[in-house]
Amino acid sequence: MLRIKGGKVYDPKNGVDGVVRDVCISGGKVVADVDGGRVIDGTGLIVFPGGVDVHTHVAGAALNFARGLIPEQHRNAHPIVRDHIRRAGIVGATPTTFATGYVYAGMGWTTVNEAAVPVLSAKHTHEELRDTPMVDKTCCVLMANNEMMLDLLEAGDHERARQVLAWHVWAAKAYGVKCVNPGGVEAWKFGKDAKQLHEPVPGYKTLTPADIVSGMARACDELRLPHAVHLHCNNLGAPGNVSTTLDTMKALEGHRAHLAHLQYHAYGGDDWATFRSESAKIAEAFNANTNLTCDAGAVLFGTTVTITADGPWQHLLYQLTGKKWGNLDVENETGCGVVPYVYKEKNIVNAVQWAVGLELMLLIDDPWRVSLTTDHPNGAPFWRYPEILHLLMNADFRKEQIARLPEKARSRIILDQLTREYTLGEIAILCSAGPARALGLEHKGHLGVGADADVAVYHAEQDITKMFSHPRYVIKGGEVVVEEGELRQSVEGHALAVKPSYDPQVEEFIRPLFQQYYTMSFENYPVTPDRVHGLQVNELSN
Amino acid sequence: MKNRADLIIYWGGNPAECHPRHFTKYTIMQKGRYIPNGRKGRTMVLVDIRETPSAKAADVFLQVRPGKDFEVLTALRAVVKGQRVDAASVADTGLSLEQLTDLANRMKACRFGVLFFGMGLSMTRGKHMNSAAALTLAAELNAFTKFVAMPMRGHGNVTGADVIMRYTTAYPFGVNLSRGYPRFNPGEFSTIDLLVRGDNDATLVLGADPGATMPQPAIRHLANTPTIVLDPKVTHTSRLAKVHITTAATGITAPGTVYRMDEIPLPLRPPLTGPYPTDEEVMRRIREAVQRKEQVAA
Amino acid sequence: MNLTVVKNATCTFCGCVCDDIELHADGTRITETKGACILGQSWFKNHTAEHLYPDALIDGKEATVDEAVDAAADILHAAHLPLVYGLSNTTCEAQREAVHLAEIVGGVIDSHTSL
Repeated sequence: MLRIKGGKVYDPKNGVDGVVRDVCISGGKVVADVDGGRVIDGTGLIVFPGGVDVHTHVAGAALNFARGLIPEQHRNAHPIVRDHIRRAGIVGATPTTFATGYVYAGMGWTTVNEAAVPVLSAKHTHEELRDTPMVDKTCCVLMANNEMMLDLLEAGDHERARQVLAWHVWAAKAYGVKCVNPGGVEAWKFGKDAKQLHEPVPGYKTLTPADIVSGMARACDELRLPHAVHLHCNNLGAPGNVSTTLDTMKALEGHRAHLAHLQYHAYGGDDWATFRSESAKIAEAFNANTNLTCDAGAVLFGTTVTITADGPWQHLLYQLTGKKWGNLDVENETGCGVVPYVYKEKNIVNAVQWAVGLELMLLIDDPWRVSLTTDHPNGAPFWRYPEILHLLMNADFRKEQIARLPEKARSRIILDQLTREYTLGEIAILCSAGPARALGLEHKGHLGVGADADVAVYHAEQDITKMFSHPRYVIKGGEVVVEEGELRQSVEGHALAVKPSYDPQVEEFIRPLFQQYYTMSFENYPVTPDRVHGLQVNELSN
Repeated sequence: MKNRADLIIYWGGNPAECHPRHFTKYTIMQKGRYIPNGRKGRTMVLVDIRETPSAKAADVFLQVRPGKDFEVLTALRAVVKGQRVDAASVADTGLSLEQLTDLANRMKACRFGVLFFGMGLSMTRGKHMNSAAALTLAAELNAFTKFVAMPMRGHGNVTGADVIMRYTTAYPFGVNLSRGYPRFNPGEFSTIDLLVRGDNDATLVLGADPGATMPQPAIRHLANTPTIVLDPKVTHTSRLAKVHITTAATGITAPGTVYRMDEIPLPLRPPLTGPYPTDEEVMRRIREAVQRKEQVAA
Repeated sequence: MNLTVVKNATCTFCGCVCDDIELHADGTRITETKGACILGQSWFKNHTAEHLYPDALIDGKEATVDEAVDAAADILHAAHLPLVYGLSNTTCEAQREAVHLAEIVGGVIDSHTSL
């Protein structure tokens, strides 16, 4: 039992905006009151629900491939020295699994969504997540370039496509469905891309990326998945991609969707020389489409590594930078690319990207529909989130940073015209209540009775970066895991999965196709529940 | 690969003898989604220093002079990019410029190419420089077509070790944890270097038999310092060890997971129940015993 | 005698890790290996469920697993720089434990990859 006494509580879901009150915890849940137990003096402190990351890459084959590609970065990264609580590790752009858990919890984040999991290597992702302590975990399974799905969508067999989708979500022990560059990753397997939303995907007669987008969104809605289709639009990173993104919003035909790392999809210009921000257009359309949620995918200047299932974009980046490039195709399902990258303040394209992420968060008027992310590690490592909060909450600080950009870049952005400053209540929505709602996690992102007792307690400071980097207390599942800024114990998180309803007979349809096209035994393909540590299943009905 | 590759190159490997089902299960003999004619729809090239039984399966066999792989790869990269290459300097590698040009043309003309490189490339003169050159060649070929490169791993689940070390320590092998956090320096912390220099003062051997395969100075060091062996059989290394523990055989009496060389994990389905504990159980018990001793000492 | 048939079994001998093998076992040994190559066949048939080797040896003399575990822990705990080596012919679960052990004893962990 635990009472956080007299803190200033921000619990947007329950309409609490900076009210001094107690938060009581028992049995890992928030309760109305407790009699006895430990009391934490919250006087002068700020109490938030634990942070929720709606889109991050913390585990799996692609990230692990990236880890292997950058030993020279690890050498300069922050090491975690083994002690009686912590396992050893390395932080940096691609933290090791144990380090990932410690660092997220160390800044008050307690739930993460691993946004890109191929079914074929889902077992591997779950193995890594098992060794990622301190946070609860969800996964989105990559399905928009799955050839079995695409064949069914082309044939117009929507009923079966939905069944096949449901089967794969459960086979991967996933929580949601991810669509990356629909049709484009498939085309990349022969070195091509799908750039036009309404032209057939190479290798298909009629099926267009727009068909895939609407088909997948519809199937996710019909299956009543708590999280909408998690969509990485076509033409990521490309000049002028604003039109593709706007077209994609239309192609959804009113279905729910979560637009991932929107920053990378809000560019104007005809080429790199004329590259500019189109965040105003994107925000305007987004504000009008209440079926949508999104995350920022913000960029910060500095060294990182980019890694995505968008193989064609990564190859373009390799050609642009001439740096290392690793490519990994996953047969029949998806693929990924990895390129180490430095975002430079003096680079005009990078400067525009930096501004666009912030512009979107400031221009989208409903904070419930936009979440803080950097598409970790693509835009910046997740442990730099507090720097972004600082930029959002302090317009003067923002102005100082804008003044450092090249003049040419300043003419391509509108950030200097935006005076909005996020309030603490809005930050609690952006980092916790909003992403929890977008994911459909009813027990997360709030401090009402029955919520999971995941709480972050901060000390109000002038330096916002410092304030959010070092919470005074973090409580995970009712356990005090961070105290006075120090990690006090390591706890295991849960793996949250959904089981959508489907006809088990669909397996007889999938099996022969699988045997024809894959090199592994069908029986060895699904992740069995005993292999997922701390599994909690939400069984859905139709 | 199964569904798309129309050009398959094996470099420094002998799959016919070392990975017998690689041809039939994964590559040349398979019919795939975009390769409906199977073997007829694919070209196979073998590059090696001698004509192994794998050469029979190849459409093109290129015999490289031992130790000249790096030179061949470098010349090939230049030919691919259309740079001028001196025929006389190529001749030193055992191949002719015509052969290299032919190979380069095949690489650029294919729809989906795969380069498998074996230990004949990664473990001979040049070592990781050879692997790096092979990977760079494949990366550069993507300016012309789709091309991937992949190592042929020899030993059972060495891929699993690589994967797990990367996600727990950030490095794939040779990780030094003596300062409490992972450090990596190939050549300094690699097993042979440690053993030959005599840097380590105890060894635990799991799933290997270095006493049968390593150079003599390394074996002498294993014998002269306390060595612990976990193995389903009493091995050469067990005989020079201080402690041997018999464990269940992987996939035969021991359950668990192993990784395929393309980093796809597969579950084991052991058909027998044996009398010995698994490696996992023994390793855990040793770790717990060490932790108890640590606590007593503290 | 009890005949066990295991379908979709996985062979761990080489890096291919074929997972489409049908094994027949009689409780003591594997009698049939459908789908396995020559190397796989000899791998599967080379191991049995019999107690052919002592549980453990210390200095070449038979010992219990408990004694051997304790002796191993003594060695590793006392060592200044122990090496954990191999990790090929074993499971991921054991490899995961091996990393943890190397960390606890402050040693070096390495696989065949470095050779």
